[in-house]
Amino acid sequence: MKGQVLGFRFQVLGMAVLALVVGASAQDISFGDVPAKKAHVVLLSDGVDVAAGKAQVVELRFRVEPGFHINSHAPKDPLLIATALKLDTGHGVDVQGVDYPKGSAFQLGQGKDAQMLDVYQGEFRVRVRMIADAGNSTMTGMLRYQACDDAACFPPKNLVVKVAVTGK
Amino acid sequence: MRRIGVLAAMVVLVGLLVWAGVYNLRQRRAAMQKAQSQVVLVKDGATPPVGGISAASSTELQGKAAPAFTLVDLEGKKVSLADFKGKPVVVNFWATWCGPCKLEMPWFEEFSGKYKAQGLVVLGVDQDEDTPKNVVSEAARKVGVDYTILLPNKTIAKDYALGDYLPETFYLNKDGVVVGHSLGAPPKDEMEAEIKKAMGI
Repeated sequence: MKGQVLGFRFQVLGMAVLALVVGASAQDISFGDVPAKKAHVVLLSDGVDVAAGKAQVVELRFRVEPGFHINSHAPKDPLLIATALKLDTGHGVDVQGVDYPKGSAFQLGQGKDAQMLDVYQGEFRVRVRMIADAGNSTMTGMLRYQACDDAACFPPKNLVVKVAVTGK
Repeated sequence: MRRIGVLAAMVVLVGLLVWAGVYNLRQRRAAMQKAQSQVVLVKDGATPPVGGISAASSTELQGKAAPAFTLVDLEGKKVSLADFKGKPVVVNFWATWCGPCKLEMPWFEEFSGKYKAQGLVVLGVDQDEDTPKNVVSEAARKVGVDYTILLPNKTIAKDYALGDYLPETFYLNKDGVVVGHSLGAPPKDEMEAEIKKAMGI
């Protein structure tokens, strides 16, 4: 009898999980083509292991959404919003500097009206010079960027950066 | 008996969730079809600017009177849309950080000269936030435009149901009715076609 009750509970649990999966799937279908206000850059790095107490360089990997580009750290037009990573110092992580990758050339427009931009597309890596304490810490900060495709631009956005740092 | 009751409840729950999903999907498709039935100019080969809900909203101004506004230009002078009653007007939303905006702005400048005799008016409404006026002015000068640049107020973006992207342009005929709308920078010839439509030629 006890076994039957247990089995029944498992059946109910299974049905509940199924309901959630099917329901979530159904909701996902309905919202799949609603782009809304979303981030065009994601942080790929979620954690790094470093030698504790030593100055070193870690790379933070970011990815720009396919079809879009963001200005590099050194755009040719000073009015364009440069990509900039601002990291907090403290909480076991001493950030000493940030080095940005070179951008790639991107042609906006065609013919005599064309303009050349300096951008990041796809994955790009920012090198962070830092010293971490032994143990577990969290590197926090913000990536400021501004994304465009070849016909329109989105307003500048800030991406929260949070990376687990393990000093060994 | 109790088992049957619980299972029936679960089946109903799953059914409700699926129905909600399908209902939402149909609603979204209907909204997208409505948006696509309007004139939306996107450069050839370009990724259409996203933000379907907002796009549909601003496109709903098509065929309606353009929302009235009174803004301040770079010299501090008040400029109202009503000042241009009887003339075709282009209302172009742009920002200093927007590359495609600055790509198309010289075309507006060119067309404002080309169709000056027809009374064409181009108004560039800046959408920068916290950017000093002199920076906006310098950006417009660098781009080479001489038409009126207006600074935004708190309501115009909402009044025109702007999307989360720039440039966005509305083409008004001499009666102040929105007869064209573009999201993103359209090809130059399509821009001119919209201007001609606004002028009724």
